[in-house]
Amino acid sequence: MNGALLELSPGMLLAGSVTAAAAGLWLLLPRGAESRVARSLGLMLGAVALAGFIVAGRRLGGVGEDAVFLTVALVAVVSGAATIVTRSPVYSAIWFALSLAGVAGVLLVLGAQFLGVATIVVYAGAILVMFLFVLMLAQPAGLAPYDRVCNEPLLSAVAGAVLLGLLSLSIGRLSSDASCCAAPSKAAAVQSMKTGSGATGSQQQPAATIAEPADADPLAIDQVARLGGELFGRHLLAVEVAGVLLLAALIGAIAVVTRGEAALEHDRRLAGAGGRR
Amino acid sequence: MPPLSPATLLVLVPLLPLAGAVLTLVLGRVLGSRAHLPAIAGIAAAAAVAVMLLLGTSSQVGSAHDPHAEPVRPVEMITTLWQWASVQDAYVPPASSAAAIPGTAVGGAGSAARAFTIPVALRLDPLTATLLAIITCIGLVVAIYSVGYMHHDPGYPRFFAVFSLFVFSMSMLVAASNFLVVYVFWEAVGACSYLLIGFWFTRPEAARAAKKAFLVNRVGDFGLAIATFLLWMTYGTLDFHDTLSADGTILPGILGQTRLADAGGIVGGAVGTAICLCLLLAACGKSAQLPLHVWLPDAMEGPTPASALIHAATMVTAGIYLVARSAPLFMACPDALAAVSIVGATTALVAGLIATVQNDLKRVLAYSTISQLGYMFASLGTGTLLGFTAAIFHLVTHAFFKALLFLGAGSVMHSMGNVIDMRRFGGLRRIMPITAATFLAGALALAGVAPFSGFFSKDEILASLHGKGWPNAHGEHHDAAPASHARRALSPGEARGEGATAFRVASLTRSPAAAPTAVLDTPQTFRVLFWMALVTAGLTAFYTFRAVFMTFTGPTRVPEEAGHHAHESPPVMALPLLILAVPSAVAGWWLFSSQWLAHFLTATPSFSAPAVTATAVPHAFHMDLAIQGTLAAAIGIVIAAIGHLGRRSDGPQMERFLGPLQTFFANRCYIDQLYAGLVVRPLEGLAIMAALFDRFVIDGLVNGIARLPAALGGVVRRLQAGLLQRYALAGVMGVLAIVLVLAWRLRG
Amino acid sequence: MTPLLAAGSTALLHNALLVGAILFALGLVGILARRNLIVMFLSAELMLQGISVSLVAWSRYHGDWGGHVLVIFVLTVAACEAAVALVFVLQAFARTGRLDAAAWQALREATLPRAVDHALPASDAVPPRWPRLARAGVEPPTDEDASLEREHV
Repeated sequence: MNGALLELSPGMLLAGSVTAAAAGLWLLLPRGAESRVARSLGLMLGAVALAGFIVAGRRLGGVGEDAVFLTVALVAVVSGAATIVTRSPVYSAIWFALSLAGVAGVLLVLGAQFLGVATIVVYAGAILVMFLFVLMLAQPAGLAPYDRVCNEPLLSAVAGAVLLGLLSLSIGRLSSDASCCAAPSKAAAVQSMKTGSGATGSQQQPAATIAEPADADPLAIDQVARLGGELFGRHLLAVEVAGVLLLAALIGAIAVVTRGEAALEHDRRLAGAGGRR
Repeated sequence: MPPLSPATLLVLVPLLPLAGAVLTLVLGRVLGSRAHLPAIAGIAAAAAVAVMLLLGTSSQVGSAHDPHAEPVRPVEMITTLWQWASVQDAYVPPASSAAAIPGTAVGGAGSAARAFTIPVALRLDPLTATLLAIITCIGLVVAIYSVGYMHHDPGYPRFFAVFSLFVFSMSMLVAASNFLVVYVFWEAVGACSYLLIGFWFTRPEAARAAKKAFLVNRVGDFGLAIATFLLWMTYGTLDFHDTLSADGTILPGILGQTRLADAGGIVGGAVGTAICLCLLLAACGKSAQLPLHVWLPDAMEGPTPASALIHAATMVTAGIYLVARSAPLFMACPDALAAVSIVGATTALVAGLIATVQNDLKRVLAYSTISQLGYMFASLGTGTLLGFTAAIFHLVTHAFFKALLFLGAGSVMHSMGNVIDMRRFGGLRRIMPITAATFLAGALALAGVAPFSGFFSKDEILASLHGKGWPNAHGEHHDAAPASHARRALSPGEARGEGATAFRVASLTRSPAAAPTAVLDTPQTFRVLFWMALVTAGLTAFYTFRAVFMTFTGPTRVPEEAGHHAHESPPVMALPLLILAVPSAVAGWWLFSSQWLAHFLTATPSFSAPAVTATAVPHAFHMDLAIQGTLAAAIGIVIAAIGHLGRRSDGPQMERFLGPLQTFFANRCYIDQLYAGLVVRPLEGLAIMAALFDRFVIDGLVNGIARLPAALGGVVRRLQAGLLQRYALAGVMGVLAIVLVLAWRLRG
Repeated sequence: MTPLLAAGSTALLHNALLVGAILFALGLVGILARRNLIVMFLSAELMLQGISVSLVAWSRYHGDWGGHVLVIFVLTVAACEAAVALVFVLQAFARTGRLDAAAWQALREATLPRAVDHALPASDAVPPRWPRLARAGVEPPTDEDASLEREHV
């Protein structure tokens, strides 16, 4: 299953990629003075890191599959990097939108159709728009002095690098050591479900009425329906709680805004009376 | 009622005042203004017993008027109360040392090992009996006086408690028969003196004076301690008397009759001189001789009765007693003897000079005390029987008239509202006739005017000094060979009383010590000392009558503090004055003419040693010396009269003719300043250094250690800059560190 | 079946997990480094994207719905969080007039001075807010903490 093309051990490759990525990030992050050299060097290092990660990835069998996955993954990753590196927050939001598109693509490749679309709709459609609203409200100029500087760029890049290194190394070990996470067969999963039914409690539905819970076949016609059945079947309580959470967030947001208005009014009155805090 | 044995009576003398002291301490608050009763009862009973003992001992000694009687045999009675310390076989002294048991040899028949024993033993011999009588009788008179003097004082019970305690301590001191027990009570009288000087301790001067007295006495006590150690090392025992060991051998005491009878019994040379000089140091401390005299003038801060008893009559005579008791030790070291005389005469002269310019009546009397004590030391240092007995004679007469003078000064002070500066009052004979008359009697005795008591005792002292300075002037010959007096048999009947030990003669086979060469003990020295003593006699008369004239003659002036007090003292105070005036007037003549005291004292074991009795001369009254003494006194009185008789006491004093010397003497010859510079300031400097060390080094170390966490905190504090993203970064790095550690452990 | 479609495909899992990890790490760096509050939140959302990808990858690998369901909840929570957080951002902006995460330094130690941007080019430095003075007044020392107050939004 390993398609490593080079003689480097996977660990070394990953480590090198991670280091290059960290260095590239550090160079690219806004650090006050604009420096073309730093930016180009950072871009080059980023490219090198990406190459390394691509090489360390697994082949998916066919060129088509490889190309599709590579495309969407690249879009997601490069846009994500651009999100955090761009100086202007508006551009940052735009890059984030693109990253969302990439992520949606990855989700679709992974067979989560509903989720892919939901990502676009909820994130790009609602959350991102909200962010843009606030941005336009607060920073109409688009760029502010504090957008040109970073807080501890080096340490942040190092932290990210360490994290990424850990994660990728363990991911690498994960997939090379097949015994640690063998895919359970469907029957075995059903079996374990049935035997574990007494312990899991009232969430268990009778196996006959609902579709097999382990059946997440992406090519199924009624995949979304199955997802819905799973949600409102086994996870009904959680769904209801999530609904309540949304309600609470809504009410909370309104409450904070209105009280915030009153507090602002109070402070304005104080400031108007001549006392600066 | 069966007659009490002498031993019991001897124990009663210190015991009764002790009981009085304890009762006063316990019942003082309850008794209130009657708190004097237990104390006076105790002292009165003790006085009666002491007089009985004196008469009893005197009857043992026999009459003095038989010049052809055999030499006086020593009279002593020992009674042991209990064994304070006893360590058997403490050590084995070298066979030839004075500490070895006579008649035994190492590895011989008897055990040569010495035991360390300290018996609490009391002795009764003529010297002790005399001093006990003086202490208790004068104590009684002064105690009666104090009833009036301390009448309204809030510390009334405390005064009498300490007073009785003092009488107890002093009695034990003179009655003790062991050097260590003497040391204990030496310290005890020092403590009582401290308590009485600092009686009004809320006054800073009194507190300071009490401290000074105690600390200066401490220097002397150091000498006594060293002497005790040296005596133990040299003689193997600290007892005065001979004791009997379990197997019947005699263990000679330091001043016991067996040792004294042996010509070589007392160790001389360097060790002996060291012992004697240490004893002299102790005596200087207690008896206020140069250079340890500085405490006595300041001790006048205490109540006047305390000054009268302690600092005039009794405590300061402890030094005289010690040297007199140790006479045989001194006789073996002629240079030490001469040193005693030199110290005494010098002190007498210097103190006399200082007294001439003092304006405080009590200070005049204090310096006069120092001066008279110097006389006694000068006499002791002559090393003759006459010298020793003259010193004790002068001690007795001095006790009477000095106590009288102090009580008179107290009477004056009481009337004048605690003012004692003579320049502020005058002509008091018109308002205080009894005080004036008795004070005059005491002054005449002090000045040495015949036929008052001081004349005779001072005359004897001058005679002893003259005898040493001009050995053949009066045809006296000193018998140098002690052979005729050696090895007298002692009858068992000498010892009396229960608990007493019987003596047995042991043959002493020690060779006599070689005759020591004298450096200071030369006739030239004593000639100088004689002239010094004569000049001091004149000075004594001068300053005494200066004080009398300034106080009692001239226009009558009374300071404002007197108020309505300016009248004669109440009878309870006047009566003791009259009582004391009698012996001041007649005691000297009576004792001298009957030679009772001299004869009585020769029966003391210390004075009956062959070395001392060898210096005995027939008693004679030397007219030339008497004339010289009287002339000196007369000159002094006349000069005082010229300067002060009938004049205002605050007018220009004739001492101004002394010029710069007056300032010198008025500042007490700057000895206090010298001590301050040599001793006090360095000690203060040392204390300051120690304080600085404590504050900066030790405290600095502790504070520094305390500041360490604060400093560390200051460093760590800078991490909290309020920047949220830095906090987040720190959190992330922490989590990554944990995960890294876990991953490292779980790898493979 | 190609690995792309087969459940239990390790290669897909590996790749997807890698993508998720990279996104997560990028988001982390963004939160820690950028000072603009909006960009910080965008980076947080980026982290959530990475997590979503990882969860769905696992779900695909095991062939069950667990990861999907969790991602739906993640989505829900992200929406709530965004709403509430943006309310607070608006409050903060209303008080200080900036979206700077380093504007709030009141939690610092009392003895420390306010942290100042040294990397900032002088031309872009935030101009100090001067109080209104009398005509002959002396320029007072600026107190950044106090000058963060705005009179109007």
